[in-house]
Amino acid sequence: MAPPKDTMFRSADMSLTQLYIANEIGREVVSALGELGVMDFRDLNLETTAFQRTFTQEIRRLDNVERQLRYFHSQMDKATIPMRSIYDFNNPFTSPSASEIDELADKSQSLENRISSLNESYETLKKREVELTEWRWVLREAGGFFDRARGQTEEIRQSIDESDDAPLLRDVEQNGQGEAAERSFSVMNIGFVAGVIPRERVAAFERILWRTLRGNLYMNQSEIPEPIINPENNEEISKNVFIIFAHGKEIIAKIRKISESLGADLYSVDENSELRRDQVQEVNTRLSDLASVLRNTKSTLDAELTAISRSLAAWMVIIKKEKATYQTLNKFSYDHQRKTLIAEAWAPTNSLGLIKSTLQDVNDRAGLSVPTIVNQIKTTKTPPTYFKTNRFTLAFQTIIDAYGTIKYREVNPALPTIVTFPFLFAVMFGDFGHGVIITTVSVAMIYFERKLLRSKLDELFSMIFYGRYIVFMMGIFSMYTGLLYCDAFSKELPLFKSMWEWDENDKGDLGPTSHRVEGYTYPFGLDWRWHETDNDLLFSNSYKMKLSILLGWCHMTFSLCWSLVNARYFHTPIDIWGNFVPGMIFFQSIFGYLSFTIVYKWCVDWAARGQNPPSLLNMLIYMFLKPGTIEAPLFKGQAGLQIVLLLMALACVPVMLFLKPFYLRYEHNKARALGYRGIGESTRVSALDDDDDEGQTLNGGRESFGDDDDGIAMITQDIGHGEEHEEFEFSEVMIHQVIHTIEFCLNCVSHTASYLRLWALSLAHQRLSIVLWDMTMKIGFGFTGIVGAIIMVIIFGGWFGLTVAVLCVMEGTSAMLHSLRLHWVEAMSKHFIGDGVPFEPFSFKVLLEEEPIE
Amino acid sequence: MANGFAPFIGLIVVALFCGGAWFAAPKGENQTVWRSTLVLSAVAMYLMWVITFLAQLHPLISPIRSDLRPE
Repeated sequence: MAPPKDTMFRSADMSLTQLYIANEIGREVVSALGELGVMDFRDLNLETTAFQRTFTQEIRRLDNVERQLRYFHSQMDKATIPMRSIYDFNNPFTSPSASEIDELADKSQSLENRISSLNESYETLKKREVELTEWRWVLREAGGFFDRARGQTEEIRQSIDESDDAPLLRDVEQNGQGEAAERSFSVMNIGFVAGVIPRERVAAFERILWRTLRGNLYMNQSEIPEPIINPENNEEISKNVFIIFAHGKEIIAKIRKISESLGADLYSVDENSELRRDQVQEVNTRLSDLASVLRNTKSTLDAELTAISRSLAAWMVIIKKEKATYQTLNKFSYDHQRKTLIAEAWAPTNSLGLIKSTLQDVNDRAGLSVPTIVNQIKTTKTPPTYFKTNRFTLAFQTIIDAYGTIKYREVNPALPTIVTFPFLFAVMFGDFGHGVIITTVSVAMIYFERKLLRSKLDELFSMIFYGRYIVFMMGIFSMYTGLLYCDAFSKELPLFKSMWEWDENDKGDLGPTSHRVEGYTYPFGLDWRWHETDNDLLFSNSYKMKLSILLGWCHMTFSLCWSLVNARYFHTPIDIWGNFVPGMIFFQSIFGYLSFTIVYKWCVDWAARGQNPPSLLNMLIYMFLKPGTIEAPLFKGQAGLQIVLLLMALACVPVMLFLKPFYLRYEHNKARALGYRGIGESTRVSALDDDDDEGQTLNGGRESFGDDDDGIAMITQDIGHGEEHEEFEFSEVMIHQVIHTIEFCLNCVSHTASYLRLWALSLAHQRLSIVLWDMTMKIGFGFTGIVGAIIMVIIFGGWFGLTVAVLCVMEGTSAMLHSLRLHWVEAMSKHFIGDGVPFEPFSFKVLLEEEPIE
Repeated sequence: MANGFAPFIGLIVVALFCGGAWFAAPKGENQTVWRSTLVLSAVAMYLMWVITFLAQLHPLISPIRSDLRPE
């Protein structure tokens, strides 16, 4: 029998399938299935750790390649070379052959070597450059010290003038530090150290030197004006040049050690100014040589990276897919004797034909004589819940899935939600103008869908974009409810002739009272004459309150009916007679009756009857407090009807409480009396006992396994471990039912009241937009002339900005959340079972969507 | 009864629309979505309209406005 067509009404019919795949084409088969993306593979090696699995080696290798690709990517980021976008490839989703993967791995290995060696040499060169630059600074600065010192020499005319050092010590003496000043100025004994040190270490450096040498030194330093760039991490460091003069070789050695330990770089400087000039020249030529070499290296590296950037995205996709393929293969059990991979997977029954033909294709391409076998297994396991969604339905399905996973084959609440969610939103958001704004926005998003899908969006916008079709429906319905409320940016819309005419007063003016046009009711929505009247709220509150109750009643009755559909589908008549029927009677006899009286009261012309209309609120309260007494009658026989309804509602409570648990107990006892036992309770009498035990030791008690000693494939249902089977426990069922009954009865009241939020929010929305208009535009209209025009433009901008930000975005969000609550709590609690397992197919498409390659 | 029959006319119109939508819904895998969306939308919109209409059928109060300007 062909399976029924999959619709959104129920989750797709699933089958547990078993695949026997020849080892040689395992990779190709899984990769083809990944492209299809309709199989949810079960892990058959749950006990094995990730390291013990069959294809760990391959995954490691791919991990390495992935790391190399990421390395290229980071290098490209560093060099600001853009990667060719994934969308520019014609078809990046073709699955490559194994040899192509090998080729890619080799290529990426060699490229990595090349890039890293280029990088290394680049970095070494860069380091060399920095060193030379620092040296140049030292030469320049130290030269400055020497020159200044010489200037002093001539001034002071120290006797020993061949030495450049002497005036320096003179300088030292002047500073009061040179104890050696009295001694003979032997050139041999005075040495110096020159170098570069990070600026923040200078203070510490000075202090340490001072303490260790007890002041036997003379230090001079100056700041390098431009920061030095460290090639290793590209950080800028400001450094100082220092030169230290000291006495004696040992002290010099000590200074060297201290400076090196503090991270200073020492450079040799010659005392002789001629030599120094040569040094500077040499450094300069070396620097310029180095710069050209650096440029060449950099351009080679960039060229290499640009070449990589052209295909990097495709490689990343390929490797990602390949890795996912092996990870899936690791879930399979491997039969060493027959070189066969055995896989178990859930798949939609409707896709089995497609799966089989795909497998056939793979087989043909590989030229293998052994076909891949697809078996359907019967199982007691719960199949996963799967809905095929499209662009339009996806967001609505997500709303429902966010609440809970739908039970397999249960009625899908997402289908009616497509209408009810935006509609209830619109009841709260009813304003034609605001509806036009959000419809326009959503239409724009839908129109530029493809472009927006590919671009990176910020969080808030991407959320709105995800729900663009919801927003679209919301906008359409908001426009409709706006027309019904007769509101457009809080102004009235006089579409038809009003049913009210102003009375003429004594002075011949109009107002303040009005009279009705005889025999005419405003045909569409609220009469626009109500706008800005003194008793506008009196009328619209009464109307919107009743509207909320009536819509809530409709929505809840509608939702409650789905529980009937579910009970019929799952063949549990006890849910109909023990839950649905008493629940429905209870709900209708109180709130159905309330809804009826609301409509009835509207339909009666009380003025013509010459009666005062009775208050419905009091009626409902007295229906419970004093059954049988009616203060202001609505219709004949009301008292009797109310008593009957009340009794019916009361009678339903015990039925709801006891019928289902006792019926279940009766069923259970009957089954036991006939000799049936729970499967876990009695010893197994099957001849397969040995096999079963063996199967459990071999396969760790998984649901089925694919091999036995005789080489005949067989399937064991490991029902001993059945998570599906629950022991019947009367007390548990009873408690559950008591909770359900109390919850249902109380919720009938609280949920009906909860729908009043429709009134509250629509009132708030309308009032807010009126206030906004009065505070901005109305004031703007007060000005005239050129100034008035300019002010008007400014005020209009402010008004429009606030309308979009406050009334559309903020109010819209709040109305959306309230609508969400009405669906999750008020509606779904009436029928939703929701203990399903989500279907997570192995699909490359999903994989790439989850971890996009930018 | 002032226009008391209007809700019934509306009902007939909506019923006809729903019937039309049911059969005219595009065939294919999205037929269910089309049908449910069109029918439910029509019903929801009708409900909202008819409630508004009924609320004004025999209004208990009439508009009062003191700041009326002579037209």
